[in-house]
Amino acid sequence: MTQKELHNQRLLKEAEYKTLQHQTRRHFLKESAMGLGALALGSFFYSCDSKSSGMANTFFDATNPLAPKPPMFPGKAKSVIYIHMAGAPSQLELFSYKPELAKLDGLDCPPSLLEGKKFAFIRGVPKMLGPQAKFSQHGKSGLWLSENLPHLSTVVDDMAILNAVTTDQFNHAPAQLLMHTGTARLGRPSMGSWVTYGLGSENKNLPGFVVLTSGGNNPDAGKSVWGSGFLPSVYQGVQCRSEGDPVLFIKDPPGMDRDIRKASIDAINKINKEEYEEYKDPETLSRIAQYEMAYKMQISVPEVMNINDEPAYIHEMYGTKPGEANFANNVLLARKLVEKGVRFVQLFDWGWDTHGDSAGNAVDIGLINKCRKVDRPITALILDLKQRGLLDETLVIWGSEFGRTPMLENREGKKMPFKGRDHHAEAYSMWMAGGGIKGGTSHGETDEIGYSAVSGKVDAFDIQATILNQLGFDHEKFTYESQGRAFRLTDVSGKIIQNIIS
Amino acid sequence: MKRLLPFIVSIVLVALVVAFIYWPVEKIDYNTQVKPIFNKKCITCHGGVKQKAGFSLLFQEEALGKTESGKPAIVPGNPNESELIRRLLLDDPEERMPYKHEALSEEEIDILTKWIEQGAEWGEHWAYIPVKEEAVPAIKNDWVKNDIDPFILAKLSDQKLNPSAAADKPTLLRRVSLDLTGLPPDEKIATKFLNDNSEKAYENLVDDLMASPHYGERWTALWMDVARYADTRGYEADRSRTIWKYRDWLIHAFNQDKPYDEFLMEQMAGDLMPNPDDDKYIATAFHRNTMTNDEGGTQNEEFRTAAVLDRVNTTWSALMGTSFNCVQCHSHPYDPFKHDEYYKFVAFFNNTRDEDTQSEFPLLRQYKGADSVKLIQLKDWLATNVNQEKSDQYYTFLKTWQPTINSLQCDEFNNGALISSWYAGLRKDGSCRLPNVSLDNTNQLMFSYTSNFNGGTWSIYIDSLTGPLLKTVSLSKTEGHRENWRIVTTDIPPVSGRHNLYFKYTNPTLKTFDETGALFEWFQFGEKFPGQGKPGFDVAKKNFMELMDAEVQTTPILFENNKELFRTTHVFERGNWLVKGNVVTPEVPGVMNPMDAKAPKNRLGLAMWMVDKKNPLVSRTMVNRLWEQLFGQGLAETLEDLGTQGIPPTHKELLDHLSWKFMNDFDWSIKKLLKEMAMSATYRQNSKTNDELQKIDPLNKFYARGPRIRLSAEQLRDQALAVSNSLSGKMYGKSVMPFQPEGIWRSPYNGDKWVMSQGEDQNRRALYTYWKRTAPYPTMITFDGGAREVCVTRRIRTNTPLQALTSLNDSTYFVMARNFAFKMQELDNKDVNNQIRKGYEHMMFKPITETKLNALVELYTKSLGTFTKNEKATIDIIGTKDTSPKPETAALVVVASAMLNLDEWVNKN
Repeated sequence: MTQKELHNQRLLKEAEYKTLQHQTRRHFLKESAMGLGALALGSFFYSCDSKSSGMANTFFDATNPLAPKPPMFPGKAKSVIYIHMAGAPSQLELFSYKPELAKLDGLDCPPSLLEGKKFAFIRGVPKMLGPQAKFSQHGKSGLWLSENLPHLSTVVDDMAILNAVTTDQFNHAPAQLLMHTGTARLGRPSMGSWVTYGLGSENKNLPGFVVLTSGGNNPDAGKSVWGSGFLPSVYQGVQCRSEGDPVLFIKDPPGMDRDIRKASIDAINKINKEEYEEYKDPETLSRIAQYEMAYKMQISVPEVMNINDEPAYIHEMYGTKPGEANFANNVLLARKLVEKGVRFVQLFDWGWDTHGDSAGNAVDIGLINKCRKVDRPITALILDLKQRGLLDETLVIWGSEFGRTPMLENREGKKMPFKGRDHHAEAYSMWMAGGGIKGGTSHGETDEIGYSAVSGKVDAFDIQATILNQLGFDHEKFTYESQGRAFRLTDVSGKIIQNIIS
Repeated sequence: MKRLLPFIVSIVLVALVVAFIYWPVEKIDYNTQVKPIFNKKCITCHGGVKQKAGFSLLFQEEALGKTESGKPAIVPGNPNESELIRRLLLDDPEERMPYKHEALSEEEIDILTKWIEQGAEWGEHWAYIPVKEEAVPAIKNDWVKNDIDPFILAKLSDQKLNPSAAADKPTLLRRVSLDLTGLPPDEKIATKFLNDNSEKAYENLVDDLMASPHYGERWTALWMDVARYADTRGYEADRSRTIWKYRDWLIHAFNQDKPYDEFLMEQMAGDLMPNPDDDKYIATAFHRNTMTNDEGGTQNEEFRTAAVLDRVNTTWSALMGTSFNCVQCHSHPYDPFKHDEYYKFVAFFNNTRDEDTQSEFPLLRQYKGADSVKLIQLKDWLATNVNQEKSDQYYTFLKTWQPTINSLQCDEFNNGALISSWYAGLRKDGSCRLPNVSLDNTNQLMFSYTSNFNGGTWSIYIDSLTGPLLKTVSLSKTEGHRENWRIVTTDIPPVSGRHNLYFKYTNPTLKTFDETGALFEWFQFGEKFPGQGKPGFDVAKKNFMELMDAEVQTTPILFENNKELFRTTHVFERGNWLVKGNVVTPEVPGVMNPMDAKAPKNRLGLAMWMVDKKNPLVSRTMVNRLWEQLFGQGLAETLEDLGTQGIPPTHKELLDHLSWKFMNDFDWSIKKLLKEMAMSATYRQNSKTNDELQKIDPLNKFYARGPRIRLSAEQLRDQALAVSNSLSGKMYGKSVMPFQPEGIWRSPYNGDKWVMSQGEDQNRRALYTYWKRTAPYPTMITFDGGAREVCVTRRIRTNTPLQALTSLNDSTYFVMARNFAFKMQELDNKDVNNQIRKGYEHMMFKPITETKLNALVELYTKSLGTFTKNEKATIDIIGTKDTSPKPETAALVVVASAMLNLDEWVNKN
């Protein structure tokens, strides 16, 4: 059977599953009450009274919130790896080829670009800054990429590059929130939470939404970018860590061996079973199941988070170094996680805020070093997913919260010690690959200097709509009722980017 | 017979006619029958967001008014003439409504037809109609304990359900104690209740628990969610904020049973009440728990606005159960609130002094020791030697540094900038503008600045850099406390009117153009210290300046703009703060009770309006919230939305009955209200259910059984500390940092570290745990706490494996298990069966069953086998406290850990 046939078969199975689930829930409930070993598929009692409001939070089952669920229609992708470069890499040194900008290098910025505009740090009249990298065309598609990404250049035919992404936020935290939660303010669920709410988790021994961070800091917007907002907290991202416990409290306390842990859980569940017999509270059954799952997770999480046993060629390919906390290791972990059925893996790498205030933040120094650390692992991810037949069903997204100005930053009106660019909301680049994305495409154009989008403009909502679409959700109908109204990830906007879908 | 026929026919006809006229025609109710159809089928296109064809069903005047076609869609009394009905009946899919959606059912069309026929009477949603006294259903039944119960019984009998008997004493003891104090009962209270066989035993228990200081802590923990309390500011750097005095204010308020109306008034507008003391100011920190953004390059006005809108949204969703935030961008899609009404409401909040400054101004300044004596002396001196008004004015100024102008109002920088977007900084020969300053009746400028250089000159020009010179001030290098900020005064000549002031900074000693010569914090254009020539003037003036600069403890508060600093409020078109529409003035929405004509149109007036007994939402929302805390769900499930899209209350009459009682009979006493709930037979029922009841009422919406609910994150921590003998009884003060794994805090541009608290501060109640918004204490989040970036109107309970991992493995919990094992050994020093028995009784106040005991003894025996063979494991499990580690102790720790993970333990039952 080909990968494609396998994929279709899985989708069909999932569609059948929902019907089955409805028919057999009561049976399951009975079964688990007596047998206990089975996963408690729990009750079908939704927490909200659907009749009264006409809108039910249909994907939420309080006693088994992470059960796998079919999407609204068969989607092309089953899982997502979202790689976010926190701080905003410069599109002008990576994807956006602007030979005209080179000619303007060192000249005063024309007033027309500054009128009525606000920048985070640029004041007065800045100078223009030409591209600080060489560009060339790659692959059959002939897409332009800079010399900063030599490895990625070899897989452009798998990528769809969005060159006219815009946002209306030019500060990190709000812009990251907008990209991941659909609003620049706090309090809404993140994309990964929405997706896990909608699809559940394929692997009952692992969390459905995993977050990995690198670069020494969490993203500027903090844990809210993987928070669950008004969705039940079970859908928030679980941050897996490369130091200490991979998941908080996954390790038994010192002195506790596996046999005693097992015996503890058996004793707890035996007593809880008696408790259930007395009170008949279905939550008790659910708790019994969760304690069993916790026990299994204690094995499965450290296992999946351990990259030591990967073959040498994989380490070579990704540039991974077991035992270190770095981006490459996180990318390899992302592959391992989706392979195990994790629904949404979110990677944040901090340190892309190239203002030019230090060498590490210079577009001609620090940026190159950062690229060296991510270029190889990201390329390896695409090739590795492909060789495992997983690229078709795994949507990979690379991007950031905004881009950078074609002008040289002059913070507070002063000359900066190094070459840097300020935050730029009007146009930047992102790309997607796999999961039904048309490889070798470029969508959207900016003007000659990469200042404004001129065609194919897309924003966070369009990207969110597209991601949901690839997973089998109509972003306009995929809602959750809170505070008396139905909320969407895409709020009141969002158009699917049809041009990049195969 | 033939002759009789016409007669019979005519008799029948007459009878039919009479029947037709007198037949009781069912009266259609707008709220329960019509509005749900509109909301479900029509309002998406014909409501607050969209008004297709100029037709909306949101407000009566819109629904009955003319549409784009020039004719009304609804003609009261005449369904045949009503376009609305015609459109529902058509076959053509282009014309038939709802457009491209499933047609209405015959029954629905019938309801709408009859409704129009009967005159299309409009009705207001129940939640917007003032609370009326609701009579208690006349039901006689032995089960009934107080007025709550007949309401519950009436609904139960509709469902053909019976209430349950009361829970046994131990279960009830633990339930009510956890509910009222957030802790298991202490031994004294427990013994007293369990041995008291009198009628009043339970009531005495409830009274004892309410008298405990832990009562205030428990309800504060709830209110901290409502108030979005946090010890940090949010957003990128998420720096620390010192606002714990507000938390302590809450504990006092709950313990004193401050009436809810006063409780709200002080939090909403304590600063505007007459002669506010420190407590009244601190209460206003309620609305200073909004986030501020310290990220470099942010627009302060944008985040000031965001904070103001958050205050509006929180006021509505947390205190008045309404999703008012919908109206920010457009008229409410379902509820009767208009777009501009949102901004009229914003206008109440838009004139506070806070401006997203890094210093978090305005702050209440609380003086220490001798300084507070000095302050009183100065106040008295001014009252005696000048007048009371000046005395009050100076007192307020010393307590708040307000009103002053923040330097971030400066613009038009030339070789200068808002450094980190907070403070106006000028470099060599740099200049900037301070716009729109009122100079009427001023003769002195007071300002706060810092400089690293001597020899600076600051010139202030009027209206342009080439305009008349107002004043030249020498600025020398500053050193000292408060990060080198210095407060200075200088005389200025009299000038009248409002002016743009232009600042220029020169300093010949500056070598480069890039160094910042002077940084300004704030300015005050005012009057010289009064009372010149009076005895003691020099000392008073000196004391005043010393107090201005004294070391103080600060708390962010609300403080209203004076008329010089007044901001106008605009409608934001489509909710965008940059697109300003019409100017609006403070007003409450039309659907609600009007404001008292004599009330001021400011926050104080607003607070008075909220606690007016005619306000339909305030008491209902609080009653609903407290009910939810005790019963696990609100009488209306959606605590945050009592509007038409909220889930309708299961017992509306009871909600109204209690809301009326709360305001009137109980005079807003929260304790009395809680007591009423706790004393009801409904609350005291046992929580056992069965297959049949699970089928009819799985969520216990009819209360045929008592509540059985997983405890909150706070209750879980606190009860484990209590049962393991480790709970610190210390109350109040700075937030503490109990054990937390490494690597949780990683905010960029912020060097703050989680520094473990020492000694008993490790074991404080959960509400004292330091709350960082971008990285909250992990256990709190795992057990469904919110991040408190915005108010948490309701926690949704989940049941996850991460919770199991936490209570099994988190070293905080494991240490508690260890201490609990030691406690069990204290209870019986020999026999393990007895240790477990007594330990269980210590937890649950009732004897353990044989099955449970056997399961635990089995675990003990198995563990003992392992530890006997493994000394290191034994030591690891027991820890360092016990100097002679025995395998028996280690095995008991394992048992204790299992006991603290039992379903009956993590639930209140």
